[in-house]
Amino acid sequence: MNVLQGIITEIKSHEGLSLVKVKANDFVFSSIVLDTPETAGYLKLDNVVKIIFKETEVIISTALNPNISIQNQLLCRVESIKKGVILSQVTLMAGKQTIESIITTNACEQLALHENDNVMALIKTNEVSLSAHD
Amino acid sequence: MIQFSAYKMLQTADGELPLDVNFTIEKGKFIAVYGNSGAGKTTILRILGGLTAAEQVNIKVDDVTWDDAEKKLHLAVQKRSIGFVFQDFALFPNLTVRENLEFALSKGDSKEIVSELIDLMELQSLQDNKPERLSGGQKQRVALARAIVRRPKILLLDEPLSALDDAMRFKLQDYILKIHQKYELTTIMISHSIAEIFKLSDHVLVIDKGRITKEGTPENVFSEQKISSKFQLTGEIISIKKSDIVYVVQVSSGNTIVKVIATEEEVANYTIGQKVLVASKAFNPIIQILS
Repeated sequence: MNVLQGIITEIKSHEGLSLVKVKANDFVFSSIVLDTPETAGYLKLDNVVKIIFKETEVIISTALNPNISIQNQLLCRVESIKKGVILSQVTLMAGKQTIESIITTNACEQLALHENDNVMALIKTNEVSLSAHD
Repeated sequence: MIQFSAYKMLQTADGELPLDVNFTIEKGKFIAVYGNSGAGKTTILRILGGLTAAEQVNIKVDDVTWDDAEKKLHLAVQKRSIGFVFQDFALFPNLTVRENLEFALSKGDSKEIVSELIDLMELQSLQDNKPERLSGGQKQRVALARAIVRRPKILLLDEPLSALDDAMRFKLQDYILKIHQKYELTTIMISHSIAEIFKLSDHVLVIDKGRITKEGTPENVFSEQKISSKFQLTGEIISIKKSDIVYVVQVSSGNTIVKVIATEEEVANYTIGQKVLVASKAFNPIIQILS
């Protein structure tokens, strides 16, 4: 599980859904949640929250400027790769932030990933959970 | 409105435990009391019902004092407008279903309420049977009906459904809700089932070691909004198995078992039997219609 700390910078709500922007280090994450400031106390501008997404939801692209619908795109350096038979765990560094990705070993080989390669980590807006900071 | 305040020293298997509880309940609400065994839940209901004495007690119901230890006031059990249902069925074995209900009538009361309850609880075909001919769920339906015969203001339920299987529980929950609404009762129910509490109650009191440690709506008390994810369950880790470079963690919740993928670093913090929250976003699950 990737857990980052951030500050809410923008909330756009409509009919129970909210698109929330959360700034963590230098990157602004987009998250979509089934809550609004009326239903969830933590949805407040400038509130500190945790940004949570699973390793298996982190997509890796070697194209650094992909024309793609995914809103969360972080430029990363490949720190290390742990290869399994089916799955591989790729540890990425976005600045000083570690992000773990689990992709298939096939994908890892297809992309010919190596340590220190520059890649984009992609996380869909609806895969990012928010949690009130405690 | 019920205003309840009591202090009583309980004798438990682990020694003395002070029960020290204060709460106010609005008329017409459905309250769940949740907590570990031996926390004092049943004692609270018994004090409210006038069945158990306490060192310090002050109970007011709609501004009528039921108990005031300082003024040595104690309203007798039969004068409290209360219906009780316990886990065991406690019906009179030698009386039929209808006679069990009629027995609960006060002298001079019309028998109309008995027929009304027999209809409402769908006991028509069972009304001439003796309790021994009834299933557990049927007996509990009779016990519920009997608790309402005197038209109490307050219904106290002490784990009334815990001896029943799931299908029967769900059905009985519907009956409980029906009588709660129809007779405008204030209902207090002890339950260990979070699903049941969500379905029935407006407000939950969590009791731990003789004190209220938390209260609020079921949503606030049990989900705590720890995480924005809408697909959540709480359960216990029952196994952790390595699978390639990841681990499969099995979590048992109620009568379902789910599997969750976790990394090696994460499972280092997990142990079998640990209580966990499993969460996923509302965007991921797929619904399929079962025919």
